[in-house]
Amino acid sequence: MKSSISQIKDSLRDKKISVEELYDEFLIKAKSSKTNSFNLLLDKENNILSIKESQKRYENGNPLPLDGIPLGIKDLFCTKGIRTTASSKILSNFTPNYESFVTQKLLDDGSIFIGKNNCDEFAMGSSNETSFFGPVKNPWKNKNVPTDDLVPGGSSGGSAAAVAEGTCVASMGTDTGGSIRQPASLCGIVGLKPTFGSCSRWGIVAFASSLDQAGPLTNSVEDAALILNSINKHDFNDTTSSNHVREDYSIGINDKLDQKIKIGIPSDYLKDVSGDILSQIENTKKALIKHNVEFVDVEFKTTEYALSTYYILAPAEASSNLARYDGIRYGVREDGKSLDDIYLNSRTKGFGDEVTRRILIGAYVLSAGYYDAYYRQAQKVRRLIKDDFQRIFNDVDFILTPTTPNEAFKIGDKLDPISMYKNDIYTVPTSLAGLPGISIPSGLSTNGLPLGIQFIGNYFEEKKLLQIAALAEKELNFNGQ
Amino acid sequence: MSDIDIKRISYLAKLKLPHEKEEFYANSLKDIIKWVDNLKMIDTSETEPLHNVTEKTVSIRKDEINKSNSVDDVLSNAPERAQNFFKVPKVVE
Repeated sequence: MKSSISQIKDSLRDKKISVEELYDEFLIKAKSSKTNSFNLLLDKENNILSIKESQKRYENGNPLPLDGIPLGIKDLFCTKGIRTTASSKILSNFTPNYESFVTQKLLDDGSIFIGKNNCDEFAMGSSNETSFFGPVKNPWKNKNVPTDDLVPGGSSGGSAAAVAEGTCVASMGTDTGGSIRQPASLCGIVGLKPTFGSCSRWGIVAFASSLDQAGPLTNSVEDAALILNSINKHDFNDTTSSNHVREDYSIGINDKLDQKIKIGIPSDYLKDVSGDILSQIENTKKALIKHNVEFVDVEFKTTEYALSTYYILAPAEASSNLARYDGIRYGVREDGKSLDDIYLNSRTKGFGDEVTRRILIGAYVLSAGYYDAYYRQAQKVRRLIKDDFQRIFNDVDFILTPTTPNEAFKIGDKLDPISMYKNDIYTVPTSLAGLPGISIPSGLSTNGLPLGIQFIGNYFEEKKLLQIAALAEKELNFNGQ
Repeated sequence: MSDIDIKRISYLAKLKLPHEKEEFYANSLKDIIKWVDNLKMIDTSETEPLHNVTEKTVSIRKDEINKSNSVDDVLSNAPERAQNFFKVPKVVE
């Protein structure tokens, strides 16, 4: 059983361990790991000032909320003076001069970054196999084929693998269509995607700006709440940042539910799922029903259109966002005789296959003659998807679904892009609607691999969402690695 | 769905696909476009497009000057610079 943030803070407070010893412990483990979950690790010397200051605060009896906690950061967050690559060749030499909003908040609360986590290139992928720095290996093994290396999911695959193997206490990820929740599920940990607009996108390498959202990957729901407390703040630098009043997400997280809770289970999500996946939902129902929770069947009308909508809108936005990589202002330049040749050569050689594919899809659906039929139509369907969720939330407090349609699969197994895209069938609709979702580990498959369930909440109701997730976590009592 | 002109699309995206990969991308694009074509069956004549899910987030801040993005900061990652400029091949004769 891994220690929670609160437990580690207690040990630091009680001088059972120093901040420096804690950092060393995680760094040594991370350096000897074979999962490839970090693109870059920070030696103690890089963090020695922060370590000493943190130690001083413990000695003075006034530690900050995340003081001394070693965190991994997905290599999609700009970190001042620390190489930030988005796991792409084109950014492989990029060192930002500024800190992303979210990582600045984590630093302000005393946490210490141990390194940058590997991810799919520009966060485009569901298996962490598109990274320029090579795939990440899931620390879990199929007990029937223990020699196989399995994917950790993606795109925050390095973050999920690192938390699962215990090479950082928690990691910051990003989620566009499932990139926090899906890898969390495949690695047996907790992953929270907050409501779109909760956590600023400023300083996160952009993929699809109307969908991207930062969130934590952690060992427990309580840890996710503690990190959310730090990062969930309004920011003027992100025009989609919401200025609603934030709550304290960890206080009262384990309180008894004082009112009846109604949870909808979308029957259309469960039509063709395996027995393994179905039993996660059944077990959750059994565990919660004794806690004043009522389950009802709900049915979406738009599920079959969600992936199509996503695979028009996300590549369209990516195609625009990635126009900035031109080999002129930053990133890798490939020489050419003319300015145009530099653009063409830098982009063609700098992007991997999946990123190239998505830029092409985006350029196609935005091009003259196709814009209305694809891009505009997808934006309209996106509203229908949002309305569909709102209709269901008129009647229920949460929606419960599997997080993924399958367990972790073998590296190299899914070569066809469409079968890969289908991995996100349960997470994409939530992303399109901008709703918060949390994946918690719920049990093991017959192959001994972790599976997860997803709770979806209404807009900005993260507090309630974390409470129900904490209750389910306690009842399901999943034992990690 | 009409045939996909992969040369035109890659030109729009400022990509120069290697000749041997053109077919690979063209087929892949064709499959994906065919897969997303089911959206055309939905009647959206009465539906407005959705650009921003929360639809309420314009905040106004005070117009105060902040120091950020100095010339040196901005140029520090440039592949090539000359004094305070990004350096590129000659554009006009």
